[in-house]
Amino acid sequence: MSEDYNDNKTIQAQSSETISGSGSGVSPDIDYVRPAEIPEQDLYHGHSFITKWVFCQDAKVIGVQYFLLATFTGIIGLILSWLMRLQLGFPELASFMTAEHYYQFVTMHGMIMVVYFLTALFLGGFGNFLIPLMVGARDMVFPYLNMVSFWMFFIAVGVLLASFFVPGGPTGSGWTLYPPQAILEGTPGSGMGIMLMCISLILFVAGFTMGGLNYLITVLQARTRGMTLMRMPLTVWGIFTATVLAMLAFPALLVGALMMSLDNILGTSFFMPTILKAGEVLEYGGGSPILFQHLFWFFGHPEVYIVALPAFGIISDLISVHARKNIFGYRMMVWAIVGIGALSFFVWAHHMYVSGMNPWFGFFFATTTLIIAVPTAMKVYNWILTLWRGNIRLNTVMLWCLGFIVTFVNGGITGIFLGNVTVDVPLSDTYFVIAHFHMVMGIAPLMVIMGAVYHWFPLVAGRFLDEKLGKWHFWLTFLGAYSIYFPMHYLGFIGVPRRYFEMYDSPYMTSAVGMNEFISMAAFIVGAAQFILIYNIIRALKIGKPSGHNPWKACSLEWLTPSVPPEHGNWGERLPVVHRWAYDYSVPGAKEDFITQTTPPSDVANTEVEKT
Amino acid sequence: MSDPKIEGYEFKPGFKGMAQDTGSDQTMFKGVHWGKAMMWIFLLSDTFIFSCFLISYMKGRGSTLIDWPNPSEVFGLHVFGVDVPLLLIAIMTFVLITSSGTMALAVKYGYEKNKKMCGWLILATAIGGLTFVGMQAFEWSKLIHEGVRPWENPFGAPQFGSFFFMITGFHGTHVSIGVIFLFIYAYKTFKGHYDEGKRGWFTSIKGDYVEIEILGLYWHFVDLVWVFIFAFFYLW
Amino acid sequence: MHAGIIFFLVILGSVLFHIFTPWYWTDVASNWGGMDDTITLTFWVGGGVFVAVCLFMVYCVFKFSYKEDRKAEYKPEDKKLERILTWTTTLGVAALLAPGLIIWNQFISVPKNAIEIDVMAWQWGWQYRLPGEDGKLGTTQVTNINDNNPFGINLDDPYGKDDVMVQTDVINLENNRPVKILLRSVDVLHNWYVPQFRAKMDAVPGIVTYYWFEPNKTGEYEVLCAEYCGVGHYAMRGGVVVQDNQDYENWLQEQETFSDLMAKQKLLETGETKLAKK
Repeated sequence: MSEDYNDNKTIQAQSSETISGSGSGVSPDIDYVRPAEIPEQDLYHGHSFITKWVFCQDAKVIGVQYFLLATFTGIIGLILSWLMRLQLGFPELASFMTAEHYYQFVTMHGMIMVVYFLTALFLGGFGNFLIPLMVGARDMVFPYLNMVSFWMFFIAVGVLLASFFVPGGPTGSGWTLYPPQAILEGTPGSGMGIMLMCISLILFVAGFTMGGLNYLITVLQARTRGMTLMRMPLTVWGIFTATVLAMLAFPALLVGALMMSLDNILGTSFFMPTILKAGEVLEYGGGSPILFQHLFWFFGHPEVYIVALPAFGIISDLISVHARKNIFGYRMMVWAIVGIGALSFFVWAHHMYVSGMNPWFGFFFATTTLIIAVPTAMKVYNWILTLWRGNIRLNTVMLWCLGFIVTFVNGGITGIFLGNVTVDVPLSDTYFVIAHFHMVMGIAPLMVIMGAVYHWFPLVAGRFLDEKLGKWHFWLTFLGAYSIYFPMHYLGFIGVPRRYFEMYDSPYMTSAVGMNEFISMAAFIVGAAQFILIYNIIRALKIGKPSGHNPWKACSLEWLTPSVPPEHGNWGERLPVVHRWAYDYSVPGAKEDFITQTTPPSDVANTEVEKT
Repeated sequence: MSDPKIEGYEFKPGFKGMAQDTGSDQTMFKGVHWGKAMMWIFLLSDTFIFSCFLISYMKGRGSTLIDWPNPSEVFGLHVFGVDVPLLLIAIMTFVLITSSGTMALAVKYGYEKNKKMCGWLILATAIGGLTFVGMQAFEWSKLIHEGVRPWENPFGAPQFGSFFFMITGFHGTHVSIGVIFLFIYAYKTFKGHYDEGKRGWFTSIKGDYVEIEILGLYWHFVDLVWVFIFAFFYLW
Repeated sequence: MHAGIIFFLVILGSVLFHIFTPWYWTDVASNWGGMDDTITLTFWVGGGVFVAVCLFMVYCVFKFSYKEDRKAEYKPEDKKLERILTWTTTLGVAALLAPGLIIWNQFISVPKNAIEIDVMAWQWGWQYRLPGEDGKLGTTQVTNINDNNPFGINLDDPYGKDDVMVQTDVINLENNRPVKILLRSVDVLHNWYVPQFRAKMDAVPGIVTYYWFEPNKTGEYEVLCAEYCGVGHYAMRGGVVVQDNQDYENWLQEQETFSDLMAKQKLLETGETKLAKK
């Protein structure tokens, strides 16, 4: 087995010599970087198909595995959303659907998209692929644990999808899984369905914890020489902070899911008060349904930022690269990410203004919620100020970035409506809420994912995705999604409540019929447009234009690997040595419009580099 | 503990040193083994799990309609014709805290490469843990015998049984996992895996005595959690 | 270039949609017009920011799109600009928050003269109980609920005897008189919501929640359940009729009280025993 390791290889990067410069003079060498303080990582190199591609310990492969599985569950979520829209827009065509089905689809769509698609894709997918490359590590620090993390996720997805095939079907209690109705008759899937959902969530949390420990320790303890925290690309900052949130927020979900399982299976009464059903008093009593809501949202709100922060980070990098300009106010951006992350633990009850909790909490949570708007707004300003006086390449990646800014600002501002406690009262539990969170944590992160796919695909596969198909994909998705969710806010103003299987004939709801048909049509088109990407990827893998090294002329480390796509171990013989931040674009006096992170200062001595 | 030696890096004391470490390249916690840093962060996450449990317990206990049973009666033991409140728990707590002591000594002897002492001390810790789990099993069976169930409780609020079995059960699972690992580590220590750097069965990471310290962190944490559970269930 | 134009049209379309939309809130029929005002205020401020940010973005797309011979500006930070933006945003946010908190304070302080109404929810329907002449509702318990005691009133509570019981899903309210809605549920979460009154609150089993409003427009309104409560959620409707003083009093007179109901039950039972004896 020992031949699988690079035990006996001599690794040059360990020696204390610097890359260039003599270091012998009296004046300190400007290229000096401290010698390595962490020993070379010994990696397990797989030989067989199984160890190379299935139970693989290479973070890049694990990232792709996460990406593919999350996309697969995402497509299931997409199909469920089609079925829901079919019912809402054209109920006469959806006669095969009962209310039970509808609520099951609502629930599974929500849970899949938030947890099994977005969270897994951003942290598991992009996190695994990008973190080691961007901080200059050979791999994640615990490759074995990382591999187990993916397979736990795999089992979690399996259990989740298995609930479609058990008696009673999957749970239909809404993605918030509020007790008591989640485990009582009258809600679809109240027996096996909710049990499998809880088990699946617990497995997901366990698996995610393994991955999350990897991401955190890799960022904290395995950066390459010269890579300080304040030189890391914002992508890493976003994923890192989101992982910290996840490590502290998922425990609440785990505890909530466990307690609900016990209520369901053993008949404990954690969340169950005295209940009268069909004229009979059930054997529950003394529990508190609101306790579950607190546990759920203590997880649920940070969860929003677990999805949003990586998106913030990635979009900052994409905008900077394709506007050929440094990200404006890097330090502000970092502190905003960290600040938003910290604040996100103090805002959870803004989901519960009308839940019946003590109304005095409203003052506190409205204030904290609106405070969080300030760092978020700063990030938006900095994105558009990065475009200002840039040199903007209007390629597909940039289009996704622009689409993100529009949808994110739109969704962020409707968030101010819902966070401000009084304004929330008429709007909560209506379509306004649906429109808000789809815009801000559905479409906006999706824009980032797509942008990131077009941006990093050349690194993963060594080939470009097709620009023309990409533009079609973008415009159909962006215009379609915007015309789904922008008008939907107005349904909320009318007062149409969410989670209604049928609208019936309330006077103010009949006016919504036309809009519902329109929204459904748009939803079908947007969903179908996503298959353009799948076609584009398959096509590019076969006949895509080879991209070569650093096709976007980016500064950050992931593009500077000796081979494209990077091999296991990432960096060949020598680890890179970092001399500057990841955003030295268009530096006055430099030969090209970018200076890579590994360029030593002596090479660019005649330029006006301000920040290193 | 003294700072590790790092070429080209000068440690500074206090807050300044912390800021400098944070702002430096490569690592934030200088000289800290990856596995150790990982265990600390895992324990932070685990702290949140137990906090959620205990906060839910406080909320649940505060909002039940039926009175909470008196802990000194429920947990009391009747020995030699006298009712002694909290006797069993006192012994359990003592055993667990003692096992923390033996664990700390095991870590010390591990770093001194004293294979034999280290192995025996790990084994002693494991036996302490096993005793604790055994006594917990005894306490559970006593309560179950008296009619306490997760869903009902002859002494008062049914939530007493629910929270008690859930939280001590979750903690007991932690202890049991710890015991299993302690036995494995004792075996590995006696076999000398940490001296020769033999690769692990699954993870294929090279063996090192630091692993004993990492397990020690976990074990101390489990003890600390028990102190809180003890205070919240038995003394409140 | 085309991209910039399309983005501009999207922004323009959003503004036009907002101006000409046929879908907008129904006329407010309670004292919570202030909630509409806060929404309008948030709309102006938020909408302004949205349009400004997006137009700036579109401008950048036009002005700074890629040219081979141009180099972007190199400016990592601008402390002054960042400070100005931070403080302006903070002020704007505070300006939105303050009125919100003021109205929230009104929302949670119930006026003394408010009439209390017990709204009881179950899967899937509503029923209502009004205090009788003593002006107080009797205490209740879920376990007391049966055919003879549909609200689960504690029989030994003297306040409960004269409570007025409305065992349909439609309740009448007096115009211009504040009501305190006391919500309870016997099974799962529900939410008693009339869009025209703006206010809403969950009914949670095990506890009693409340909110208040003052209807100020006579007419009939539909009650919707706004918290997901199982497969029948979408069909869980009710009604409110807001009437002037006289009509309301007439309606109130026709309603049955708890003691009426008990008397009737007793009569029925004695009748039954008599029948059985024969």
